[in-house]
Amino acid sequence: MIAAAVLNEWYPVAMAAMVGPWPGRATTLLGHDINVFSEGDKIIVRGAGGDLAVTLAYGHVWACPGTPAHDLFPVPEAAQPGRRLVDCGAVRVKCSPLRAVENFLDIAHFPFVHTDVLGAEPHTEVGRYEVQIREDSDEVWATKVHFYQPQAAKSAAGGIVTEYMYRVAASTSAVLYKTCPNNPDEWDVIGIFVQPLTEELCEVWPWMALFDDTTPQADLIQFQQMIFLQDRSILENQIPRLLPLDPGKEIPTQADLTSIAYRRWLKRKGLTYGAQMVAA
Amino acid sequence: MSIWIANGLSQDLPPGVVMAGAWRGAELAIWRSASGRLSAWGDRCPHRGMRLSHGFVRGETLSCIYHGWVYGSDGGCRKIPAHPAMVPPATIKAEVYQCVEAGGVIWVAPAAVESDAPDLAGLTPVRSVTLRADRGALARVLAGAVAEGDLWRVPALGAVLALQDRAEGLGLHALCHDAAQRVAVSRWLDGVLRLAEEGALA
Ligand code: FES
Ligand SMILES: [Fe+2]
Repeated sequence: MIAAAVLNEWYPVAMAAMVGPWPGRATTLLGHDINVFSEGDKIIVRGAGGDLAVTLAYGHVWACPGTPAHDLFPVPEAAQPGRRLVDCGAVRVKCSPLRAVENFLDIAHFPFVHTDVLGAEPHTEVGRYEVQIREDSDEVWATKVHFYQPQAAKSAAGGIVTEYMYRVAASTSAVLYKTCPNNPDEWDVIGIFVQPLTEELCEVWPWMALFDDTTPQADLIQFQQMIFLQDRSILENQIPRLLPLDPGKEIPTQADLTSIAYRRWLKRKGLTYGAQMVAA
Repeated sequence: MSIWIANGLSQDLPPGVVMAGAWRGAELAIWRSASGRLSAWGDRCPHRGMRLSHGFVRGETLSCIYHGWVYGSDGGCRKIPAHPAMVPPATIKAEVYQCVEAGGVIWVAPAAVESDAPDLAGLTPVRSVTLRADRGALARVLAGAVAEGDLWRVPALGAVLALQDRAEGLGLHALCHDAAQRVAVSRWLDGVLRLAEEGALA
């Protein structure tokens, strides 16, 4: 039995540009087979029990297997003139969808997993940053996150201190805002939209909205995919595969404040698909 | 089954290297420090559960590959790179097993075990292989073997196999009585693998 709270959320199920006519993309959502296909100019997501609620946004098709509890989260930057929207395709990962999101919210791994790209020893310190669960939007936000990076983005020439903001926008989607090397007044926006195939298998769709009109699209995608493949080597080797929500099984520190808030928020909202509730 | 489980041959784990191991169903990280000191721990970093067998050895410590937490030979966390000035609390500790070398074999047992590892002094280590079949298939091929727990002696050849259950199959760590027979025993082992795996398929 999947909890209603889980069923009533929005999940990414396809890249909108890739959807063709029936049978379209045959895939899985929360353990159930679905087809994502086009009919005329409509996109339909069909499961064994009928058609699911559908929304198109940020280059992706979103489906809700239950009754949508709210609209899909807003990303105003997606409509901002001058930004380039980049879909990066999917990476399949043998891990809980929640572990994939938590890893995206984590900076302390940069020097060890994305060595010489997003981080490098000896610049390993994670300073104090602020985390809150915003009551108005019901989202987890981490702000004032600073980190030294040797090559923060495809367009960055050398090492800089990058400032980040992280935002958990939905149970399996997160967005980060980072200092934009080409435009000091704006933030680069990078999202990961995670499709929960099962509790221990997911497809991750990175997505970007950048001020960068020089780097070729292929290079941007390749950069993002290289980063994500490095993350996958971690995600497929964490024990247990499910994300432990009860304290005691894992040991967080101050650098993990975002992860602590994310776990608490999931637990409070009953969004426990992919979570381990009792310490095993 | 035995309490002390063979986890490979000493010659296959040089200083500065970490490898995956297994004690019955438990997955392990086994590593040798720069000075040669062996350690075997549960294959799970206490921070976020990353496999420590994917980590890296620096001097006398093992670091986790995810966030670089540094662990000393006693399993205690020495350093958390995200907080360089902090002294990690003593409660952050890997799950430590006993790990010794005897007769050129790496032996592992839970921390509380008081018996000694099997004494295979005088034998020559040959090599380790993985059999993708079970003990029954192996027993059918090695009709003359004398089994004492996980140690199977094959008198006709002067060979000894230390068995180890692993997720990928049955680990066979082979030794022989007569050093001059190393090559012959190694070839024989290839035949054993083939016959046992074919037998398991039939
Ligand atoms: S999981 Fe090992 S250091 Fe974080
Ligand atoms: Fe990462």
